[in-house]
Amino acid sequence: MTTASVAPANPRHERVRMQSTRDFAGRFARRPDAVIGLAILAVFSLLALVPSLLVGPLETATTASGSALAGPSAVHVLGTDDLGRDILNLTVHGTRISMLIGLLATLVTIVIGTSSGIIAGYVGGAVDSILMRITDFFLVLPTFVLALILAPIVLDLIGSDALVFGIRANLFVTVIVIGVTSWASTARIIRAQALSVRERMFVDRARVIGGSRAHIMRRHILPNVINLIVANTVLTFAGAVLTETTLAFVGLGDPFDPSWGQILNAAESRGAPGLGAWWFFAPPAACVVLVVLAFTLVGGALDDVLNPRARLRR
Amino acid sequence: MGGRYLARKMLQAIITIAFIVLLNFLLFRLMPGSPDRVLARNLPLDVRQVLLERWGLDRPVFPDQFVAYVGATLQGDLGDSFKFQGVSVVDVLAGRIWPTLLLFGLGEVLAIIIGLGLGAYSGWKRGGPVDYVGNGISLILYSMPYFVIGMILLMVLSGGLGWFPTSGMLEMGATYSSFVDQLLDFLAHLALPLTTVAIGLIGQYSILMRASIIETLGEDYVTTARAKGLTEGYILRRHALPNAMLPAVTLVAINLGYVIAGAITVELVFGWPGLGTLTVEALNSRDYPVLQGVFLLLSISVVLANFAADLLYGFLDPRVRS
Repeated sequence: MTTASVAPANPRHERVRMQSTRDFAGRFARRPDAVIGLAILAVFSLLALVPSLLVGPLETATTASGSALAGPSAVHVLGTDDLGRDILNLTVHGTRISMLIGLLATLVTIVIGTSSGIIAGYVGGAVDSILMRITDFFLVLPTFVLALILAPIVLDLIGSDALVFGIRANLFVTVIVIGVTSWASTARIIRAQALSVRERMFVDRARVIGGSRAHIMRRHILPNVINLIVANTVLTFAGAVLTETTLAFVGLGDPFDPSWGQILNAAESRGAPGLGAWWFFAPPAACVVLVVLAFTLVGGALDDVLNPRARLRR
Repeated sequence: MGGRYLARKMLQAIITIAFIVLLNFLLFRLMPGSPDRVLARNLPLDVRQVLLERWGLDRPVFPDQFVAYVGATLQGDLGDSFKFQGVSVVDVLAGRIWPTLLLFGLGEVLAIIIGLGLGAYSGWKRGGPVDYVGNGISLILYSMPYFVIGMILLMVLSGGLGWFPTSGMLEMGATYSSFVDQLLDFLAHLALPLTTVAIGLIGQYSILMRASIIETLGEDYVTTARAKGLTEGYILRRHALPNAMLPAVTLVAINLGYVIAGAITVELVFGWPGLGTLTVEALNSRDYPVLQGVFLLLSISVVLANFAADLLYGFLDPRVRS
């Protein structure tokens, strides 16, 4: 979608668009769950953006500031881990890793899911059946187990110390693995909508005046499935954060770029729950729950507001 | 049940399993520990050549190696574990499957009964106190990784209060005077992981059932039933519940894939000697044959569970058979 191809703004269209945006914002803002969710996400986005401003640089084994596994105190509000690192410091820095991996994995998921959904729905025929067979396969498959096998294989192939696009290999692999294994339900939803949009008059018109398939899919189908994509993206984000946490928890995280899941993994392998060291795992766990809950609330609210069928149900 | 419906569902399941076997083969060729890569290290060329010939690795990948692989898989030969030298993958899996089946079978049953019941009640009394509290708790549980629930239970009930053992399935090195003693010890070890699994699943199932029952209660036939003057309880039992159960059956089956992810982490927290801890051990020692065996076993189980759900669905809902 280049700016050059955008038609000159028609003032009447512009007014309609403004009005519907205001309607949407109004309906969305009247829902307490959406507002609470957005507030939580705003706080965590801030933590992810400027962790060093808030708690100083990430502490490592050599720059650890406290004694090993000490409980909360005035200096270390949330105590320390087994290496003497401040848990508050680790958790705040973990926000960036967890949110970044969640965001990138969501993008990969949505791009794969949306494009295969639109292509399957619009092109139809053999392409549709092949794509949908693959989708069904990924829907049935326990994708987490597939992710567990794929991650070490890809990691061993590219080398765990490599940098890909400036991201450490461990994290990059997590992004790819989550993306490749979780796009199927998005593709299903988008395909269903694309099938119905394809039958509308304006698509016929675009075809008759000679619009190419790629053009029609990009300019006519995509804008009309975007409502579904928005709500789906937010819910996918929640799933991606959970999957990343779980993958890191079973040992596929990166100890040098600790995400929340990685801290939880460290707490578990040092036996923190058995020792009663709640401060070691409660903060990262609470963050995961809050973020996933916030995304679920916002996603649910978006789904209700944007999806007319869901609105009728209330 | 219609024969064509059955045949179609069976064909789908078989195709999916064929895909899984194919994927497993491809992974096997791709992985760093694939046989020829292992052989390529530290071996004189002539020795390597002999080994390649013996294992058929000098033949083309497709079709020769693929046919040999499928043949071996069909005969239940999944190769040998890297970590446990000389033990076949099938034997490794066989030793770990029962603890998992027991833990998650019981957990599923508990969660289905409590979760679906809670969800149905909340949806029926929408806006009531049970719905309000239950829905809030379900949402939080839904956002909580299973292992976090496990860590909290472990810390409070086992580390803190000392009511339950912290790890394993039986006390290490214990001798039992009677079978009852052994059973009690086993149950004490089972209690926390089972509670964790059940709590984790209850949240999902109750959210799902609540949505389903609310949708059903808005249907025309429910309005008709109300207009006929039937009691609310009768409408719920005879009209709403049977229909609301339909999506629940499918979703429980689809959910199984996610349950497995949770299973692995819960077993890890409680040191439960099942497939989950086996997976993590294999992951850490890069025991690829075992990992692949786990993948094959779990994905085929999920496909079969989905097939069973399809059959059940066809049995419950005559409409899908046509």
